[in-house]
Amino acid sequence: MVLAPLHLLRQTELDYLTMDYLAEVTMSILHKQMIRDSNKGWATDLQVWLEAGGLSELRDKDVRLVTNAGGANPHACAKMVLALARTIDWWHCRVAIVDGDDMLALIGSLEEEGTGLSFDPAYEVDRVADAELTRDLLSANAYLGGGGVARALELGADIVITGRVADASLITGCMLHAAGWAGIAEAEGAAVAGPVHAWAPESVDSPLDVLAAWTVAGHLIECGAQVTGGNATDWATIEDLANVGYPVAEVGFDGSVVISKPENTGGVVNRRVVAEQLLYEIGDPSAYITPDAIIDITEVTLTEIGKDRVEMKGARGLAPTPWLKVSACRIDGWFAASELIVPGQDCLSRAQRMDEVLRARLEHLTELHIHTEYLGAGALSPPALRPPVELFEVVVRWAASSPRRGDIETFGMAIAPLVLTSPAGVSGMGARARPRQQLRFIPLLVKRGLIEQAVRVRTFQSRAGRLADRHNWIEDSMFSRLQRMSERRNEHRLRGRLAEGLLRRLVEPAEEEVRH
Amino acid sequence: MSEVWIPLSRLAHGRSGDKGDLVNIGLIAHDPAWLPLLIDAVTPERLAEWFAGWTDGPFRVYPVPGVGGINCILHRILQGGGTVCHRLDAQGKALGQVVLRAMVPVNEKAARKLGVDLS
Repeated sequence: MVLAPLHLLRQTELDYLTMDYLAEVTMSILHKQMIRDSNKGWATDLQVWLEAGGLSELRDKDVRLVTNAGGANPHACAKMVLALARTIDWWHCRVAIVDGDDMLALIGSLEEEGTGLSFDPAYEVDRVADAELTRDLLSANAYLGGGGVARALELGADIVITGRVADASLITGCMLHAAGWAGIAEAEGAAVAGPVHAWAPESVDSPLDVLAAWTVAGHLIECGAQVTGGNATDWATIEDLANVGYPVAEVGFDGSVVISKPENTGGVVNRRVVAEQLLYEIGDPSAYITPDAIIDITEVTLTEIGKDRVEMKGARGLAPTPWLKVSACRIDGWFAASELIVPGQDCLSRAQRMDEVLRARLEHLTELHIHTEYLGAGALSPPALRPPVELFEVVVRWAASSPRRGDIETFGMAIAPLVLTSPAGVSGMGARARPRQQLRFIPLLVKRGLIEQAVRVRTFQSRAGRLADRHNWIEDSMFSRLQRMSERRNEHRLRGRLAEGLLRRLVEPAEEEVRH
Repeated sequence: MSEVWIPLSRLAHGRSGDKGDLVNIGLIAHDPAWLPLLIDAVTPERLAEWFAGWTDGPFRVYPVPGVGGINCILHRILQGGGTVCHRLDAQGKALGQVVLRAMVPVNEKAARKLGVDLS
């Protein structure tokens, strides 16, 4: 199996490769990892494909990588990339980090200053963030727009590692740079975090519509193969999903957008699958709120303009809201899930009896909450949509939570005995469930200004690359010579050791100040 | 006016996903001309019937005429959100396919005129 980004790099011509790694609660998980180990807290999947040849493909094909894999710790992620670059003699590799999304330290003061709101999308009524809601937060990260990414590219970054930049804004950031908007912003000394529609050159008639189109392009490709045939209703007629092609967005400075995929790959890009992805995980389609603009997709049209090519038109943009969304999380008790399978006649009745037995045995744990599902009997459908079916077997799944870890351990120990002590024919399914901490997701809104001030863009390069770039007196060949010398240090012990020391000092990652 | 009940999958295709404690189900009519039938078939009231017991809503349905679709929002359906939801489908990813098999009423005359397969 070839990793998706390698696929794309090898099969097609790209200017930018963008990769979104962050689901809603990923930041909290990464934050927990960083607390345990200061070198962690970023999406390690990035390292897997960079090591598997991805980094040299990026260099050899001159493709710039933009990713939010930095998660809670972009700095450590950038260090990993620089260290990898060193192993392939890419001394000049310039890595930028975009951060400033971490709001945890600020959250406490939001209430009194009126700069934070709790956010209830169900009623579109927001209230000032209160202490109850924001107590004991594990992480709180603002969704940044594309401005930071654009500035990083403006600074010459080959690889841009960000914290919680909104998924689609990774793409918007590339376009802000490519179309020259970020250059104007830098020349005018505009704040790096936007609002970015103000950066547009005067020749652009409706910058917000252009931004909207770029953002929709980003939205369409941010879930990878979901726009090329994955997770599609038409699964039965979509061919060769085993080799599904990953999406390419051809995006114009004027806001033209065509979604396609590399030739000779599986899956499909047609109006139907693109439409499914267009509506994926959005709210009000006339006001889809992103950090860069509010997007209206109600009049978006999708046209098949060739084999596996769909043109998107008609996205409209409105000025962004004065707030940015912050996703916060806190630890919320303990959780475990367990399953057993019940076969044969009356399996559902026997499964239900087994559930009664379990609940009676755990009745004394007053804080334990158990949710029972009968998989195969329509568990994924709400009761009103469950058709009557005759079952051959049913899987009972119990999901349990409690503020007390001990309750969950007791729950876990109560499952296996059911095989011997409840209705006939029950069969086990795997090991005892281990308690894990539950994270509760808390959406908040924070005044844009607070975040705009906090966003930082810094570029890093190995010292060797910096020297070479600045003084133009170190040739790449010199490094290979030093390296060969250090490899032969057994033959020329002293000379070798000197060479190794010099080499280490030259390639040690060093911070370079941003010029802006 | 006579009505005929058909599986929603005859009218539309779709996909679902989550955000916080809500699930969205994007449904697209097989033919953009069928959008009025889709809007009549999948109303907030009908979503409330289907999802009774899982959430009291609110339920919202937004038309997306450009692609001949609607976006359905089911609030408070994930028991607090995907990370704390006790259901196996904790992020509602299955609900798109789940609702496509639901039976919905369509205006028979209009549906025939538009060529919807009513068999």
